[in-house]
Amino acid sequence: MATLDHALAHTAPRPTGVVGWITTVDHKRIGILYMITAVVFFIASGILALLMRAELAQPGLQIMDESTYNQAFTIHGTGMMLLFATPLVAGFANYFVPLHVGAPDVAFPRLNALTYWLYALGGLVVFSGFLTASGAASFGWTGYAPLSDSTYTPGAGVDLWIIGLILVGFSSILGAVNLMATIFGMRAPGMTMFRLPIFIWNMIVTLALIMFSFPVLTAALAALFIDRNFGGGFFDPAQGGDPILWQHLFWFFGHPEVYVVILPFFGVVTEIIPVFSRKPLFGYRGFVFATLLIGAYSFTVWAHHMFTTGSVDNPFFSAMTMLIAVPTGVKFFSWIATMWRGKLRFQTPMLFTMGFLFMFLIGGITGIFVASPPIDLAVHDTYYVVAHMHYVLFGGTVFAMFAAFYYWIPKMSGRMMGERLGKLHFWLMLLGFNVTFFPMHQLGLDGMQRRIPDYLPERGFDTLNALSTVGSAIVAMSILVFISNFLLSMKKGAPAGDDPWGGNTLEWATTSPPPHHNFRSLPPIVSERPVFDARHGVHGDG
Amino acid sequence: MATSLLGSCTPRAVTAQGRDVNTLYDIFFWIAAGVFVITAGLIAWSIIRYRAKPGDEDLPKQFRHNLKLEITWFAIPQAIVIVLFVLSALTLTDVNERVPEPAATVNVTAYQWGWRFAYEGTDVEVVGTPQQPAEILVPTGNLAFLLTSADVVHAFYVPKFLIKRDTIPGRTTRLDVAVEAPGTFDGECAEFCGLLHHRMPFTIEAVSPDQFQSWLDDMSAEI
Repeated sequence: MATLDHALAHTAPRPTGVVGWITTVDHKRIGILYMITAVVFFIASGILALLMRAELAQPGLQIMDESTYNQAFTIHGTGMMLLFATPLVAGFANYFVPLHVGAPDVAFPRLNALTYWLYALGGLVVFSGFLTASGAASFGWTGYAPLSDSTYTPGAGVDLWIIGLILVGFSSILGAVNLMATIFGMRAPGMTMFRLPIFIWNMIVTLALIMFSFPVLTAALAALFIDRNFGGGFFDPAQGGDPILWQHLFWFFGHPEVYVVILPFFGVVTEIIPVFSRKPLFGYRGFVFATLLIGAYSFTVWAHHMFTTGSVDNPFFSAMTMLIAVPTGVKFFSWIATMWRGKLRFQTPMLFTMGFLFMFLIGGITGIFVASPPIDLAVHDTYYVVAHMHYVLFGGTVFAMFAAFYYWIPKMSGRMMGERLGKLHFWLMLLGFNVTFFPMHQLGLDGMQRRIPDYLPERGFDTLNALSTVGSAIVAMSILVFISNFLLSMKKGAPAGDDPWGGNTLEWATTSPPPHHNFRSLPPIVSERPVFDARHGVHGDG
Repeated sequence: MATSLLGSCTPRAVTAQGRDVNTLYDIFFWIAAGVFVITAGLIAWSIIRYRAKPGDEDLPKQFRHNLKLEITWFAIPQAIVIVLFVLSALTLTDVNERVPEPAATVNVTAYQWGWRFAYEGTDVEVVGTPQQPAEILVPTGNLAFLLTSADVVHAFYVPKFLIKRDTIPGRTTRLDVAVEAPGTFDGECAEFCGLLHHRMPFTIEAVSPDQFQSWLDDMSAEI
């Protein structure tokens, strides 16, 4: 310890203010930079969604032309998946992985700063497509060939989209390596693998998925860039290439990616439910097993996005996709059994967690429908799929993100978030979300296809579309409530103290916010909830 | 609307293959409804029943696992998805099966942004544009659509058939249906294909084989 104090005393003074933030290699500051940047992209991509909903409120083209609409849904999808959800995971992981494992920082702090700046730059490069003469990329976030080649979508906006995403891809891969090294190399004494917080187990699988899936995306994007600019012909049938190859590569990345942006949030709610039920997680080892199983299965399901091509083995990918629902079901039962006979408190983090449970349940169940090839042949590329994926990604990831924000902002800032505005935010968002997305199931069954700026009045889609647009406005209001709550709480919020919720994991054993290297001392670690043990004594099986 | 709520909200199909999908969807719907009611019910019960009483600071019992229970809740969903998989694999075989002796074979080429329909064994061709969508006749009974694309990926989608198929440049895909009754069915492109993706409607009118034959003869005479 003496050498550590000595070393700390003799480091150069750290820069403060903006320079301090730009030059920081502190995992907590980098985590906050990630989260803020991700939320900025969430708002930007959300505004694109609101514009699309406004356009779809009634038949006819009212507020934008086709080209603008096509750019809007492309950058909405790209932005939400790759510039919001994935970096948001990196943000939470950066801040909380070292804290959860009792480490002073990540394994490679300078690499960590590099990954953030690669991401921020990549995101700006993607969005800068809007400033080019032909506009941003306009072929959907899936970038299907040959529509995405230079014949059918010329223009610099597409090349910016490719280069931006390659930068983001490198950022994700390097970040995953860094965090994996932190978890495996820097755990506090006593923290064996089966005493890891469940958030960390979910992160381990997430990081492995990133390491194996993002290189495939990055390589596919490089191939697309070569096709567009140097006549590569990878995806061009006229040159012996194959457009279906793009779909394979994209979805080999794209489906694990869905788990990249949901598993960490399974982790978040699995930390929150025990704390707010005042009970340990029920079935810890089963939960870990389920997480590993989801990770393994997630690489065997990609072609369920390609059932309608007639070019893939539908029964195989259908079987694997249905199987992946089983470990997810195991998680649900673990969560329920954790609440069972507990003493539940419903502050805002727990409310959002309950919202997550109900919404993700709906999204998970419709996932079984689309895993069935004959049903998928009917609903593929319709609004049914739009509804399904938003119940999973918004009902899942975004609800859990807000649970995490209300749970952890007191730790990160030292101030509590307002409960009354928090509850208003929750109920508005739950209402708005369902009004927006539930009607889309019926629109899809009735045959409304995706990615259209307009529909003929005689198709009978206008009422449900108008309703959905009203819902999107309610969601937007709920986000404004959150932003007001955040700004007010950062100014006047009650002091959080070290441990406002009666937490389980090590972040609650240090100050809010934690000091530069996180911990002055650590409690003994004999279970997955060391702070609970320090407070109440060790409880074995009861 | 009322019937669609009582059923499972899918439009009733006009093809034999589509009716198979209807049946499958209905089965999925009722099993899913059961799973939802049980799971959501357990969550709701926990929320209502186990809410902490104000001022109660005692810890609840700290139980952690129960192997039998955990095996059960792994095994039951596993069994459910196996049943669902088998049902959908059986339906898939029926849906994908080639129809015997199609009454008409139509070569369909999708392009940005319209459809070209050519009747095999004749010179008859119907071409649609965004301004003038294609309207074609087919006989009721077995039909084979051979699908390809002249440029990017599109998808041949007639909502009332309930099954769609992508059209892929450089490949030919195939959609076989048995249309069971006369009627007029609207079609669309389902796979995003660029600027005017939403303006690729077409109409298929199914008529009796005799009417179809005389239409085909008229069309041939025009050429």
